[in-house]
Amino acid sequence: MAVISSLVPARFLTITSHLVIVITIFWSRDNNVKAGLPLDFSLEQYDKEDANLVVGLSVTLGLFVIELGGFFSGVSMFNCSQGLLSTAAHASASVALLFFLFEQWDYDICWWILAICSVLPALVEIMLCIAVFGMKKKPL
Amino acid sequence: MASGRPILSSTSLQVLLYLNCWYFAAYFLAESLMFIYKGLLLPYPSDNLILDVVLHLLFLCLESLRIFYGWKGNLCERSLATSVSLLLLLPCLALAVYFLLLQTFVLRLEFILTAVLLCFYGLEFLLGLVTVSLFSRSKMY
Repeated sequence: MAVISSLVPARFLTITSHLVIVITIFWSRDNNVKAGLPLDFSLEQYDKEDANLVVGLSVTLGLFVIELGGFFSGVSMFNCSQGLLSTAAHASASVALLFFLFEQWDYDICWWILAICSVLPALVEIMLCIAVFGMKKKPL
Repeated sequence: MASGRPILSSTSLQVLLYLNCWYFAAYFLAESLMFIYKGLLLPYPSDNLILDVVLHLLFLCLESLRIFYGWKGNLCERSLATSVSLLLLLPCLALAVYFLLLQTFVLRLEFILTAVLLCFYGLEFLLGLVTVSLFSRSKMY
């Protein structure tokens, strides 16, 4: 199908861009943590919220591993609906996280972005894996 | 169609080369924009900037050649073209390490993008070695 030749690389590039931005935020999360704390914060508060953000980002990375595993093993590489959903979700996540990084949004927002744009493709990926490996359907 | 020959081309290597081609296109575009950004904002000595830009263009040429040789060599099951691609991997690896560590100014984004490219190189090197050995073991002509 003609659409396959452009959907697969588009999906891969949006997943990679989302991954790159998540790693960048991991590296420079200081500003985002400070944005959500009151002006005179204590070190324990900072550590608590920092741990919160680290957990959120780690969950995102774990969901990435699931999605990339499904993609590279061929289970969902040629599945059009998963490709479309994944491309749209990761593209919107990339834009949202770019704003998160540059505008120094509150760290709580990362949980919303995670829920909508990382959990959804990963859930569909897990369902596809179960369909292919468990119920022996053809991966298309 | 009666054909007793098994297909020796490696699907995984082909998929990796295809995705690497697209990824490198995006990487080259991003790096060009970042060089413009760095050149305007950071205090570059002009020799270093020219060196970095020339190496960036050299990277484009070497990488295109490497992917082309690997692609065609894998599809036509030719061990010579695939080994040329593996040999070209070494200067590409050197250039990637330069852009990762030894550049005049390394941005965090550049670091991450080049690290992803190095992951591609590692996987392609391993798969390329296995593929070349498969091709040369069963030479039909």
